[in-house]
Amino acid sequence: MLEQDTSGSEVWEAESLLLEQGKPYVVEAPSGRGKTSLLSVIYGIRTDYQGLVYLDDRDLSSFSSKEWSKIRKNKLSFIFQGLELFDELTAMENIQLKNRITAYHSDERIMEMARLLGIDPFLQRKAGILSFGQQQRVAIIRALCQPFNFLLADECFSHMDRENSLTAYKLIREECEAREAGLILTSLNETGLPNIDHSLKL
Amino acid sequence: MRLLYQILWKDHSRVHLLGAFLGTLAGFVLLLAGIQFYMDLKAVLSENRDLLDPEYIVINKKVNIGNTLGLTGGGFSEEEIAEIKAQPFADQVAAFNSNKFPVQAYTEGEQVPNFITDLFFEAIPDEFIDVKSEDWKWDPEKGTIPVIIPQDYLNLYNFGFAPSQGLPQIPKGVLSMINFKLRLQGQGRGNYDDYNGRIVGFSNRVSSILVPLDFLEWANEKYGYFEKNDPSQIILVSKDPTDPSIIRFLEERNYDTIREKLKSSRMNIILKFVLSFLVLVAAIIIGLAFLVFLLSLQLMISRSSEKIRRLNKLGFHYREISRPYILLLFLLMAGITGLSLLLTSILAGQLHQTAEAWSLDISSSLHGVIYGTALGLILLITASNVAAILISTKKLCK
Repeated sequence: MLEQDTSGSEVWEAESLLLEQGKPYVVEAPSGRGKTSLLSVIYGIRTDYQGLVYLDDRDLSSFSSKEWSKIRKNKLSFIFQGLELFDELTAMENIQLKNRITAYHSDERIMEMARLLGIDPFLQRKAGILSFGQQQRVAIIRALCQPFNFLLADECFSHMDRENSLTAYKLIREECEAREAGLILTSLNETGLPNIDHSLKL
Repeated sequence: MRLLYQILWKDHSRVHLLGAFLGTLAGFVLLLAGIQFYMDLKAVLSENRDLLDPEYIVINKKVNIGNTLGLTGGGFSEEEIAEIKAQPFADQVAAFNSNKFPVQAYTEGEQVPNFITDLFFEAIPDEFIDVKSEDWKWDPEKGTIPVIIPQDYLNLYNFGFAPSQGLPQIPKGVLSMINFKLRLQGQGRGNYDDYNGRIVGFSNRVSSILVPLDFLEWANEKYGYFEKNDPSQIILVSKDPTDPSIIRFLEERNYDTIREKLKSSRMNIILKFVLSFLVLVAAIIIGLAFLVFLLSLQLMISRSSEKIRRLNKLGFHYREISRPYILLLFLLMAGITGLSLLLTSILAGQLHQTAEAWSLDISSSLHGVIYGTALGLILLITASNVAAILISTKKLCK
């Protein structure tokens, strides 16, 4: 249940909003409408909001730093718009930074996903020298290397071509279904992504 | 986790950490070596002294011209004696008793040249006397008065007077066998008695001609007619003659003693002063180095603040994130502990060798206090740094 109290939109203006686990949501809006803010509030990074946000049955503001760490390892995963990769680590090390604390995927599965997204030749390169589109795919794989109930994807296809976007989207949906997890995907414009039944206008 | 270390250790400043490391190391070595040497020298100062064998200190008032002219007395009043007794360093105190009648010593017979001399006696309780002899007792039946003279008197004769005058030197044993007469003179003409005298020992401690206390009390009773004099010498026993307050007290009251005996007390004052200076300097250095440490680690953390926030977003708890910093701190502290103990023991070894050349017995190994001090300080510095690391990483995390 997401309750917000700010300027006019389907999300911010609603008396209350329920996002259900297992369903995919797309949040569409032009820049500056608060897409990233919405995800950041859910992920506990931003606390400067009015109203109440519940995860399962608990108010987000009641979580301790320890609980947030657990949530971010087991319940919520985030593909950041700014990617948040470590330039000095290789693409593979960036992915393993997450996978080693969760031990969720085998190295083989990671390689398979990389191959699927077409970044397997770059895995041993420093993340800092990859193109933004390649980095986006690294960030996607990293976000998939953990259990979660919701995946928060913030404009994660912005620097990929249509074909790559669809492949990545397919992978994301597969991984979500495997976990019976929900997906909240933000996008600047009409994505035309298949199998989205819940679209929210900010 | 290796990757975490790889990410967070990248932002250290080698110069800062090295500076902090060397500074703390220098402070530690200075402090530990200071304590080590202080304890060594303290041990050397008191090494000739058994713990069960306290020091006997004979004190007197400094003689001034007033005494010569008879304007002021050279003795200790009862109040002054009471004051000395009240001092914490004075475990036992006794005043010297002296004779209240004239005494003459003379020899007769063939073996020795005849001589006659005026004499004085003093007496103190037996436990203050360093000569233990079977003959040191007064038996009125036998009428022989045992006498102890200072070793110095015999030395003066044997090594000064006799060689220059072509006279034979006299060994202690021979002198003890010489019989002489002691004439105790009571008030009035003809009121005297002669006794046999015998030297039963030579004292290194007391510069006076000693007779047994019970004899002197008896004789004063029988012959004495002088007015009561304040005792001019006091003997006191101190369990810790290195106690610097002894010498301070004596200087304040303008009392005198054989300085040699209180050398260790004086050395102790100097040592304590030097040590406190050293500790002060070491404390300042360690304090500054500690600050540099704290600031270097904080700088490292703030340089990595973006990365720390990022790691936190990925689900790392601030405790996990602070681990690389804490490990770095542990490594540096372990290095400082090890190196400072090593350097201090090398210095101790050097001092040991030098001291051996002077035939001083100085330990080549470190005292237990050294390990304790090092450990305590390291724990203190480490603990406060760990706290600072946790606080500042926590601030960056949500």
